[in-house]
Amino acid sequence: MILDQLIWPLLLVFAALVLGPYWLAVLDGLAARSFGLAQAQSVWISPLSRGAWLLTQQTNMTEAPDWWAWRLAPALYLSLAAIGLALVPWSREWVATDIATSLVLWGSVEALATVVIFLQGWSANTLLTLIGAYRYVALGLSYILISMFVLIGVALPAESLALTQVVASQQELWNVLRQPLGLPLFLIVGLALTFRGPFNLADSTDLAGGTSADVSGPQRLVWELARSAMLVAFSGIATTAFLGGWLGPWLPGPLWVALKMLAVLALLAWLSRAFARITPERCVSLMWTVLLPLAFVDLIWAGAEALL
Amino acid sequence: MAIISWLSRLAARGPATVFPALGMRGEEALYRLALNPRIRLVDSPRHASLLLVAGGMPPEMQEPLRRVHDQLPAPFTTLWYQSEPLLELQQADTTRVDSLDALPDALVDAHRNALGGELGVSPRLLPDAPPNPWQGLGDDGRGGEGMMGGVPYGRPMAMPPTDDLRDGLALDILTFRLGPFFPLWPAGLAAEVTLQGDIVQQLSVKSPPFPRPLAPVFFEARERAVPIARLELERARHHLRALFHALHLAGLEDLALDALGLAQSCEPEAIGALEKRFRALAGRMKRRGFFALHLPACGTLGEKHAETLGGFAARAAGIDRDARLDDEGYRRLDFSVISQRKGDTRARWHQRLAEIAQSLRLAAQAQQDDAVTANLEALETPRGPWRNEELPGDASALLEELLPGLEWGEALATVASLDLAGVSQWPRP
Repeated sequence: MILDQLIWPLLLVFAALVLGPYWLAVLDGLAARSFGLAQAQSVWISPLSRGAWLLTQQTNMTEAPDWWAWRLAPALYLSLAAIGLALVPWSREWVATDIATSLVLWGSVEALATVVIFLQGWSANTLLTLIGAYRYVALGLSYILISMFVLIGVALPAESLALTQVVASQQELWNVLRQPLGLPLFLIVGLALTFRGPFNLADSTDLAGGTSADVSGPQRLVWELARSAMLVAFSGIATTAFLGGWLGPWLPGPLWVALKMLAVLALLAWLSRAFARITPERCVSLMWTVLLPLAFVDLIWAGAEALL
Repeated sequence: MAIISWLSRLAARGPATVFPALGMRGEEALYRLALNPRIRLVDSPRHASLLLVAGGMPPEMQEPLRRVHDQLPAPFTTLWYQSEPLLELQQADTTRVDSLDALPDALVDAHRNALGGELGVSPRLLPDAPPNPWQGLGDDGRGGEGMMGGVPYGRPMAMPPTDDLRDGLALDILTFRLGPFFPLWPAGLAAEVTLQGDIVQQLSVKSPPFPRPLAPVFFEARERAVPIARLELERARHHLRALFHALHLAGLEDLALDALGLAQSCEPEAIGALEKRFRALAGRMKRRGFFALHLPACGTLGEKHAETLGGFAARAAGIDRDARLDDEGYRRLDFSVISQRKGDTRARWHQRLAEIAQSLRLAAQAQQDDAVTANLEALETPRGPWRNEELPGDASALLEELLPGLEWGEALATVASLDLAGVSQWPRP
């Protein structure tokens, strides 16, 4: 009982928190290679040597930062990723946080991420980090709204806000087929919320690294780990909400979840490198005038399908 | 201790992370290093283990260089390429390199030695104290109102303004100085920028970019007839290098390196393959959203500024002027002027890509026909016309009118689409 409901789920959350970012780094290295970027090291060793380099580096100080907030922001972001991962059901029994409102809790994780990302940029008390923080806050609401509409869509056929019920409702047909707009919209939101690739506006090159432009050493390592862990959590929620979670033949449920998460992460890693960074103004327009209406359509589609 | 040593050894296996502080004629080092997978160039000194000072450093740039130096997190070291180390560092473990070929290995060695503790850590050069005294004025002791404004340490603090250039939503005003080593705009350029949110309200150039050297063939062409193939290949190389910066800014790292690789291959013996490779690159840029997602349709040059800049920037604004038309050698190759109409950032990149393609085509044709230049009085450099003794000069002052009203990313994309630095009177080595 304790093993199934506490020990195994917690171990899996911990493993996803540690191994997930490593796998994401490996997949990112493979994606870079697929785009023809030469690498001096093996993709398996590269994340480890980067981690070691950041661990041996000094954590720098800026002029008059909000010290506590600055040091805490990466840890808080990592905690939010851990909360997100705790919501992922690895099987019918193995769920670290199996509550009736897990979709709502995920929504709050997305909303609180905005606060934490702003904190990271603002508390350094330097200009490029602050601009990165401003940008994220200006755009964050539109990401969260799209995510929420899409997730309400998957809650309708399940008639529940619990992620375990959402998986159970996909026994006949996965939501990726039942609601074809849902997963693409959710993946775009995932890239935007973790500011990657075309949606990397908070930590972008034009800001020399944005919210992390003035961060070095272990603090930067935790921030990068947290960003990656949040994307891993995103892939876990996407797997649960759209790809049938633990459902699948032959293999044990947790293995199916892990494989589906890896597939989602591989797609996101590839997408992160595939397109140029969008300008903030176009991003706002895209979110509010294209993706948000599409999220409405997805919701109407899901509602009509649930009624029929 | 054993763990630290193991971590250091593991860290040393990674690429050397380098922040390049470019001085005069330091760009060649940047282009060489960017293509080396053992080197990772970074845009923030906080993200580096090595400070590379490349090229000559004028005395007035030494204080900003000290500030950049002190931002690198320990352990770090410095490497000076064709540059004299700062006086304070002459006793420290610095590395000096004068050969471009030896530079990558020197950087990798310095990285390994710094992480392995074999090189002494570069000492801090400036006192760890606020650069200006506390003002001690006003409601909250810093000269502002309420929780906002004032100049607590001699630098303005965010304060709601009265006007906004975009949509009337008043956000905090933030004034700061950027440059001369900000790697995302031309080396040497320093400016005081006032932002409201992320919109540029005001920009004042404090020091112009360092003059950019041109390839020796452009200087030879003013003295004697030179093969048009060589001139056009150097023109294509110049624009491809600019494209490298723009693609890096857009986050398309692989395409940026492709552009730079193509620039490095602009040699007469490779001429046959260049056109095909460039067409493939241009197609990938388009498909991957360089124009549609990243480039803003703003930063439009007015007629006055377009005339001042000349060259491709003027042609992108509809001014059909090119000194190559006055050259009999080019006329024999059926040279015609390409131009755009809008004069904005996108139009400038459309223009530059079209001119690269044209240069590669002209080079191939000129090589076949052994065509040489015939006009020693006027020459179209990649930066603009060079008539009489007057080389194209610095045009960075136009940023003061061009950038206000643009979002920060749009402003940088606009700067990357222009060639603002004057042309150095000495050719590239």
